[in-house]
Amino acid sequence: MAAKNHPTTPHHAMVIDTSRCIGCWACAVGCKQVNNEPLGFWWNRVLTTAPNQSTALKEPASENIDVPWGIFPNVELAYLPVACQHCNDAPCVKVCPVQATFRRDDGTVLVDYQRCIGCRYCMAACPYGVRIFNWGDAEYAPGGAVGYGKDYVTEGHLVFEPERPKGVVEKCTFCVERIDVGEEPFCVEVCPMGARVFGDLNDPESEVSQLVNDSGGAQLHPELGTDPNVYYLPIRKRVASES
Amino acid sequence: MTSPAIPLPVTADGAGTRRLGGRLWYAVLTAAAAFGLAAWIYELEKGLSSTGMRDVVSWGMYIFTFAFFIGLSAGGLIMASSAEVFGIKALKPLSRLGVLSAAACVSVAALMIIPDLGRPDRILNIFVHPNWSSPLIWDILIISVYFVFSVVDLAVLHQHEAEPTKLRRTARALAYVGLPTAVLLHSVTAWIFGLQIARTWWNTALMAPLFVVSAILSGTALVTLLALASERWAGFSLPAQTKSWLRGFITVALIIDLFFVGCDYITVLWGNVPADRSALNLVLPGGAWSWTFWGEWTVGGVVPLLFLLVPRLRRLPGALGLAAFLAIVGVYIFRIELVVIGFVNPLTQYPPGNAVGTYNPATSSFQLAGHYAPTWVEYGIVIGLVALFAGMVTFGYQRLRMASAPARPGRPAPDK
Repeated sequence: MAAKNHPTTPHHAMVIDTSRCIGCWACAVGCKQVNNEPLGFWWNRVLTTAPNQSTALKEPASENIDVPWGIFPNVELAYLPVACQHCNDAPCVKVCPVQATFRRDDGTVLVDYQRCIGCRYCMAACPYGVRIFNWGDAEYAPGGAVGYGKDYVTEGHLVFEPERPKGVVEKCTFCVERIDVGEEPFCVEVCPMGARVFGDLNDPESEVSQLVNDSGGAQLHPELGTDPNVYYLPIRKRVASES
Repeated sequence: MTSPAIPLPVTADGAGTRRLGGRLWYAVLTAAAAFGLAAWIYELEKGLSSTGMRDVVSWGMYIFTFAFFIGLSAGGLIMASSAEVFGIKALKPLSRLGVLSAAACVSVAALMIIPDLGRPDRILNIFVHPNWSSPLIWDILIISVYFVFSVVDLAVLHQHEAEPTKLRRTARALAYVGLPTAVLLHSVTAWIFGLQIARTWWNTALMAPLFVVSAILSGTALVTLLALASERWAGFSLPAQTKSWLRGFITVALIIDLFFVGCDYITVLWGNVPADRSALNLVLPGGAWSWTFWGEWTVGGVVPLLFLLVPRLRRLPGALGLAAFLAIVGVYIFRIELVVIGFVNPLTQYPPGNAVGTYNPATSSFQLAGHYAPTWVEYGIVIGLVALFAGMVTFGYQRLRMASAPARPGRPAPDK
């Protein structure tokens, strides 16, 4: 975690090292578990991409995941885990007619499940397609609610409940109930490759600050000016394969 | 949001449903509205999973029908106000019908939003916690203002009609307010889409002008159809000069509309930016949604233009009505294309795409390109609200005695 030698409020951010990601989906499945996401819901997902393609410009190699681009042996493959980007200038916050989606001072973008009217304008406005709507009664895998299991209220807003009501929009919360007590988001904890780092951008000594500033952390769709708090480190070139 | 499911102000006697045809008409409308209500109750019970919308295509028939009715409404008032503002005498007989149609359309448009909400029970949050940076709040505001305005305008015009010297200045002043209000109504609705950076298909400065001109097109065409129907069945007199003005209005609006759409196409085609192209490719011939292209350019474009412009065709009986009807169909197809393609065009080209949000065994929980087809629930609610619109117009027409003077009580519909 970030060092606590500065007085300002933290500015939470996540860095994902795409060189380390092996596309195992542990983050996505871990996210589903800790947040008790119903069947068909994915707050977090792992896209199959070509190396260093941060935006969707290239035609997909296949409709299926894990299919590389190119012809053997000249193939390339990379992964891009995508959840809510927690934008500083979030389109979803701007369009929500009832301020149900809001941004905390620490950079976390959250949804008030008691206020959302279910108009889904935020889903139309989000460039990253990370919002999920509760279309009907949720279906769960057998075994009852899993994960955090309690309601969580911050700044007077109910931003987590184990079973979200029908008719509201939900999404990644940066595991707000965990980061508020100094823990890391669950996807960071479960990533077997240590590809995810979470911390405080206001602290120049923190690992996320150093990765963003020194290792070329890049945002998704930087051209849109949404200024996300999730950064991606590019694939570092390996030794050229002998042929 | 206003909930204006109320009949328009009533000043006349109750000389309403006299004829069997009239009763039958109301019976059919009531049945359709009841079906719509039943569909909505079913939807409230099941949630929006009873619609064809899912996370990838998260707005559907309710929203494009909403935008369509907003357009019909704005167009009706623009035409009615133009009669005053630009002194077009030939359009004056249509003023009240135009404003009546505008009021009914905007009511139906406002109601159309409610079944689209996941939590209609929380609709008052719009007034309790408004977010002024959201175009939706501004749209709700302008819809409310516009509804109140059109009801007041209708009352004033009705008074003015009864005693031509009275309220003349008020009617004129209202027209000067009505024209910009109607333009604004449609512009704000366009900005719901046009301001969004996420979807290149929507994000064009041309959106508001395009919405305004298609509103004038469809609104004028609707008033034309209503006037022709009233002439045929309800004793409305429609002078030849008025018809020729309507024909001119529709023709010019249709040409400008197609010109604007063409401007968007050429910008995307020449620029060849991949994200823009992938959206347009869905629409152009060969794309999965090319029926919208053909619908817009042939059924709603070339064919009505032929019936409006070619001398031999436009003299055919019913040519104006046919052209107006096809123009309305074309504008509706344009609304479908506008809303749906924005969602169908994937935000990411990378598999597996976006989560769908519901679970179906043996199918993926993800979609790359979105799919959308409305369900019977959506059709049912839309049909019910269209019936409500027809009922409001019929009721208003009778109560406000819009039939030309000699055609009043007891007289059977003139045969043509």
